[in-house]
Amino acid sequence: MSYLNNPAVVMDNGTGLTKLGFAGNDSPSWVFPTAIATAQSGKSQSSSNKSTGFGSSSANAQSSYLSGGGNSTSATDFNSLASSTLISNNLAGKRGTEDLDFYIGNEALVASQGPSYSLSYPIRHGQVENWDHMERFWENSIFKYLRTEPEDHFFLLTEPPLNPPENRQQVAEIFFESFNCAGLYIAVQAVLALAASWTSSKVTDRSLTGTVIDSGDGVTHVIPVAEGYVIGSAIKNIPIAGRDITLFIQSLLRERGEQDASLRTAERIKQEYCYVCPDIVKEFNKFDRDSEKFAQFIVENKERTTKKVVDVGYERFLAPEIFFNPEIASSDFLTPLPVVVDETIQACPIDVRKGLYNNIVLSGGSTMFKDFGRRLQRDLKGIVNDRISQSEKLSGTRSTGVDVSVISHKRQRNAVWFGGSLLAQTGEFKSYCHTKQDYEEYGPDIVRNFSLFNMI
Amino acid sequence: MLHLKPYNLLVQKTLTEALEAYNNGSPLTLDRIISDFDYTTLHITNDGTDKSNLLVSIRTKATQSCNESGNDLQGFLQAKFDEVPGLALSSAKKEAGYDFTITVDLSQITAQSIVQASLFKILVMSYPFYLAFGQSNALSQLNEIDQVEKSKEARAMVIKYRDDENIYIKPSFDRITVIFETIFQDETDKVFGKVFLQEFVDARKRNRSIQSAPQVLFSHEPPLEIQEVAQQHAHVAGAKKSTRRFITFVLFPRHYSSDELMFTSVSQLALFRNYFHYHIKCAKAYMHSRMRYRVDTFIKVLNRAKLDEETESDSRRTITGRKMVY
Repeated sequence: MSYLNNPAVVMDNGTGLTKLGFAGNDSPSWVFPTAIATAQSGKSQSSSNKSTGFGSSSANAQSSYLSGGGNSTSATDFNSLASSTLISNNLAGKRGTEDLDFYIGNEALVASQGPSYSLSYPIRHGQVENWDHMERFWENSIFKYLRTEPEDHFFLLTEPPLNPPENRQQVAEIFFESFNCAGLYIAVQAVLALAASWTSSKVTDRSLTGTVIDSGDGVTHVIPVAEGYVIGSAIKNIPIAGRDITLFIQSLLRERGEQDASLRTAERIKQEYCYVCPDIVKEFNKFDRDSEKFAQFIVENKERTTKKVVDVGYERFLAPEIFFNPEIASSDFLTPLPVVVDETIQACPIDVRKGLYNNIVLSGGSTMFKDFGRRLQRDLKGIVNDRISQSEKLSGTRSTGVDVSVISHKRQRNAVWFGGSLLAQTGEFKSYCHTKQDYEEYGPDIVRNFSLFNMI
Repeated sequence: MLHLKPYNLLVQKTLTEALEAYNNGSPLTLDRIISDFDYTTLHITNDGTDKSNLLVSIRTKATQSCNESGNDLQGFLQAKFDEVPGLALSSAKKEAGYDFTITVDLSQITAQSIVQASLFKILVMSYPFYLAFGQSNALSQLNEIDQVEKSKEARAMVIKYRDDENIYIKPSFDRITVIFETIFQDETDKVFGKVFLQEFVDARKRNRSIQSAPQVLFSHEPPLEIQEVAQQHAHVAGAKKSTRRFITFVLFPRHYSSDELMFTSVSQLALFRNYFHYHIKCAKAYMHSRMRYRVDTFIKVLNRAKLDEETESDSRRTITGRKMVY
């Protein structure tokens, strides 16, 4: 049983990015888009021509070009030599090997620029939509990128809150039956994000109660978690996230008529210059008084021959402001983030509300703006204090007060993955997993229940 | 396509990043665990507080048995790493719990040395192979009678790279026989594996253009070359003995006539098991996608057969055929 010494594999497959790595590391080993480029059927000729660009021999392409079908590299071909005579009479020739012809991650983005591959994202809104693609995506990420034999490793996977149990079963089927993995644990992303906050110095007790604000590229979730269980009925989504901020910056750049207003530039500006300010009016004044605040962003083309200078002005603080005053960018969603957080917590059972206010944890790239946590805490405190004074006035009694604290920490960007890595490196982790033996004994139903981690 | 690279992509990426960061004047602080096939763990750390030096340590199950085949694995690796700038095998800095440690000097390394460092595991496993190449060449220099006699005496080397599975290498004056022992944990895998291996064996017969590839044989009994050695290990296999299969590759001198050929032969053989299991898994994934497709089409058929719940009598329609809703 020497697989017990191998590090567990932590995989966080998100809508946009997949984070892969080994338990015990402080950052994921691979972060790439959850994208898969598959060969388009009926275009096998052009696809074999295309494949020359990716390292197979030109003789290969020609042979399958002449025989008019099938893909260039047959499955049985050990030395990847040309196989023109093979195609007529072996299995690979009969059905082709299109299912083996795909790329994932960044390679997929490159491959899809050619004519013969089509790009698809197997995960939509956090949930797996296309299991065929996802299975192949996993297969390639395990063997090619992580270089692990799944039979020797335990796996920790993540799922979004409110993932239907059927999806879990599907995941278990793939992992146990296709990959024969040694053991599997599926954790809810929000719970892992809570666990990741334990690294912050502000956290004194390692409890699994708290509100997680998870803001990625597509959507922002506010998820209350009590004692490790997600309160599903109270989850709220906000259609404002990283991409909206980028688009907002882009529109500001366009209005001003900057030399370069591409999405890429906007994204770089967002990542490098944006911050959250305490008060917009004061910040405008500050900018007007002090020209130091304005910055310049220089765009170079690939060959570094031409330079374009883009001025960066009010968007530095205006862009993240759309979380707090959504009306400046959007016309259909107008509730500020602190209000949504407050509503979420108010929808939870009264016994856990204090714990939820007390431990608000940020996760995801779009919460990385400087002072984001501080502003959120201030605004939320305002709302809570108003409510308390209101109820004090009505009832005439004194309230003991509610502590609001928002926790920012260094691992926010990959908080979910990092939380997974923290949990999976503990000695007890393997006893919480379902093993291959368990699966064979009980069937896929077994993954409907995972016992919670309670490491204190 | 699904070709596994001999070098570890992740080690390569990590070292390249470290080098870039170093050149940009902001060296990284690293403490990473990286895994590779067959119970191999690599560990990349900074050398103490000195950020221009990295330590790469390896622990792999095959180390002990590889060393036993010639007793100078250390020297072999040393020579391999000395070929490229910036790398050195260091016994002084050997990390506890790991088998070997190399120091990486970021101020000196080149892209080539990064690749060499990411080949760490393959290099460890290649030691017996290179010994076999050497022995085979030495045997072929002898006169004809001695060649046969000495070849018979030559000992088969064993790489114990997994719990129940071993690689046997038997050098001879005109060939090197590499035998893989495989045991499947899973019943389904056994079936897929059998079909796959059969294809593998047959492909060479059918396809004229890969005639120069090594011969592949597949058997249930230990091949004669390794019968005595395999007997010694028989007790290890125990109950699993009946599920043991043997895959034999016969390398001829043309497969190891130059350094480059030696390296490709070794790296492809060392990755054979992983490649094999990878493709079994791919085959299963393909089966699953066919099954899903079939289920989908059946569901479509069922849906078509579904009767409309409403009968004509209790729903009225307008002249255009639309339903009236009350």
